[in-house]
Amino acid sequence: MTARSLVVGPFNRVEGDLEIRLEVEDGRVAAAFANAPLFRGFETMMLGKAPMDALTITPRICGICSISQSAAAAAALGAAAGQPQAAQGALATAIMHGVENLCDHLTHFNLFFCADFARPAYGGRDWHDRAVARFTAMEGSAVRACVEARAQILHIVGLLGGKWPHTLAIQPGGVTRAPTMRDRIRMTSTLSSFRRYLEDTLFGAPVEAFAELESAAALTTWETGDAGLFMQIAADLDLGRMGYGPGRYLSFGAYPLAQGRAFAAGLWENAMTRPVDTAEIREDLSHAWMHGDTTHPADGQTFPDEDMQDPAYSWCKAPRLAGQTIETGAFARQVVDGHPAAIDLATSGTTVLARVAGRLLEVARTQLLLESWVAALKPEERFMAEVSLPADGAGEGLVEAARGALGHWIRIEGGKIAGYQIVAPTTWNFSPRDATGTPGPVEAALVGAPVLPGEDTPLSVQHIVRSFDPCMVCTVH
Amino acid sequence: MAEETDLADIETFYDVMRRQGITRRSFMKYCALTASALGLGPAFVPKIAHAMETKPRTPVIWVHGLECTCCSESFIRSAHPLAKDVVLSMISLDYDDTLMAAAGHAAEAAMKDTIEKYKGNYILAVEGNPPLNEDGMFCISGGKPFVEKLKYAAKDAKAIISWGACASYGCVQAAKPNPTQATPVHKVITDKPIIKVPGCPPIAEVMTGVITYMLTFDRMPELDRQGRPAMFYGQRIHDKCYRRPHFDAGQFVEEWDDEGARKGYCLYKMGCKGPTTYNACSTVRWNEGVSFPIQSGHGCIGCSEDGFWDQGTFYDRVTDLTQFGVESNADQIGMAAAGVVGGGVAIHAAVSALKSAQSKAQTSPTPSSDKEA
Repeated sequence: MTARSLVVGPFNRVEGDLEIRLEVEDGRVAAAFANAPLFRGFETMMLGKAPMDALTITPRICGICSISQSAAAAAALGAAAGQPQAAQGALATAIMHGVENLCDHLTHFNLFFCADFARPAYGGRDWHDRAVARFTAMEGSAVRACVEARAQILHIVGLLGGKWPHTLAIQPGGVTRAPTMRDRIRMTSTLSSFRRYLEDTLFGAPVEAFAELESAAALTTWETGDAGLFMQIAADLDLGRMGYGPGRYLSFGAYPLAQGRAFAAGLWENAMTRPVDTAEIREDLSHAWMHGDTTHPADGQTFPDEDMQDPAYSWCKAPRLAGQTIETGAFARQVVDGHPAAIDLATSGTTVLARVAGRLLEVARTQLLLESWVAALKPEERFMAEVSLPADGAGEGLVEAARGALGHWIRIEGGKIAGYQIVAPTTWNFSPRDATGTPGPVEAALVGAPVLPGEDTPLSVQHIVRSFDPCMVCTVH
Repeated sequence: MAEETDLADIETFYDVMRRQGITRRSFMKYCALTASALGLGPAFVPKIAHAMETKPRTPVIWVHGLECTCCSESFIRSAHPLAKDVVLSMISLDYDDTLMAAAGHAAEAAMKDTIEKYKGNYILAVEGNPPLNEDGMFCISGGKPFVEKLKYAAKDAKAIISWGACASYGCVQAAKPNPTQATPVHKVITDKPIIKVPGCPPIAEVMTGVITYMLTFDRMPELDRQGRPAMFYGQRIHDKCYRRPHFDAGQFVEEWDDEGARKGYCLYKMGCKGPTTYNACSTVRWNEGVSFPIQSGHGCIGCSEDGFWDQGTFYDRVTDLTQFGVESNADQIGMAAAGVVGGGVAIHAAVSALKSAQSKAQTSPTPSSDKEA
């Protein structure tokens, strides 16, 4: 038996800093330890501030998913006040949030994930020349097309929210700007040019054709567009049998509208979906550089251990649902929402392929949702409900960021923030071990990954880690 | 110049653009756009074109500390569809944590190579800042505190760009009690010219404008006393706000989505910090000129000003009416704007001026006067 230890990192092309320690035996990963080597302390800074300041400060946790943070903060404040957003305000929020999530998926696919297929190590594969032309970092034709299409669709957020990133318009009662009929027409035309990009470039077919795929086989044998190129590569590299997740999928439900959430909330396991009880969430600190006990986030605190003592190895806390690890993200969302192709894939386990395919499905479905939402905007109605925050109270704000379930828990005492805890999607997916020694989802997914002789940054590890689309700045905040 | 012989084997900007498939026509259009973005007249278009055809491109190393990547996000979404292509290809981002292909040791080697190859000639762009508490342990990159990577990359840099509020001032992560002791770049690197491009994030066009200026003219643009490029930070949001007539007429939004909000009245009473914030949002606007926060019905939070994160709540109205001083400051601003035009012509002293400016008090929001140019 040969054994060695490897530290993989820094991982570029992920949001934030990440380092993974691998124990390798006989050419396979035997154990993995994910370290989020960055900590900023947002939860500590929130204490003593005016509750409404959460709307400005927490989005700055992340420049990629700032609307998700903004929507979660607004939802937590709204929950504390017992007042939902005005129906049209919720719709405008969903439009902004949907655009951001769509952009995140495209960034991940084109800029962060597929670039690895252009590596020289894959030279000679029959798809390699196309991968180089399309996905080479910063230069590939797909990369450029994506950056341009993204900038265009973000006009919608600009129009409704004034600026992106770090939009200020989303409030507990709704949004600060009631769009006019002219705005609605403009957004409609932006969406139709974005549809053209998706149909010409990403799918090579009508958006509906991709969104309505009904089986794993139909999805994984898709042939056209960059989605088709990916499926060809995935089949050749066997990405459908790499990086297995825990098989438990959590979604808080995306886009809360007056008529309910557009993508359902739930926990899917063994072909069954059940409601999520957030009272079952605990953040375990046994392997995080944090002082304190395992608690529910509503009672959580953040005291960093500046001595960084063993056995802890990350700034990331370890959230568990009913004591178990769960996976969250676009694929989880599609499974929980009952998309037939996603469920079909999930029955054979979540893998690198499933995670990427889940995002592609969601891109198609989100485009369709956005089109219907813009058509449903009624400029004459109210976009903001009156909200008065209690001097003492608490609230839970649950949303779905591009990368999965995001929760904010606020406690207000004497008109000031007395507690603020955030559990981000990557906190779930990249959590360290818990008190029972159970590794976090990505740590478990890496076990068994092949490491070729002489590989310092094993390609399999790159694919598995990136398939989760980690956002480390959100993870540790 | 000795510098040019050192760099003789490096492509020109134009070579790089041609290689990226950018047409001559697009190139000229880009030069014209750049000139107007920088406030330079049409006479400067051929000068910019000539500089880009003949100068070796300036290498750029872009590093990330404690931050949220919003600056990069803003940057890759810059105004003219060509601008991001051109600028991205032009600076080539010889090293960029977020966008580059390499990872792990290969990435670290790429950074070392770039530093050695372009010693003294590259621009270091910093996004985020180093946390200094506990010997920098709150931000570890490649096994070492980010502050070490920053110092290492800064040592042989020609100049440093501090992107955004994090690198310039600390930003929200430096909010009380500043748990990690997040520290702006200029407090750690004291022996290099530093240009601050604050904002959370800065406007894309401001970022591309600043970098194009530096690459084209091989020097820094004129800076104000806080070290910000005066061409973009010389005026307050309030001075060019399209809602300003409502302020003057005393017409205010009193609560969200009220009649005044629908009519686009002034947001001063809703806590707008436009009257005390120097930035180009109300002129350049965001997301390719679509809008800016005030246009979305929310007040400005002053994200390009030092300490914006710890000034009481964001929804309190600005009460310091002496600082307000609308009319008197407008005169000073007029003078500064005139200074920018002169600055475009002869800015050779900007670097040393910046050094002296850095040692001055950083408290005054007054734009630079002509004695600094």
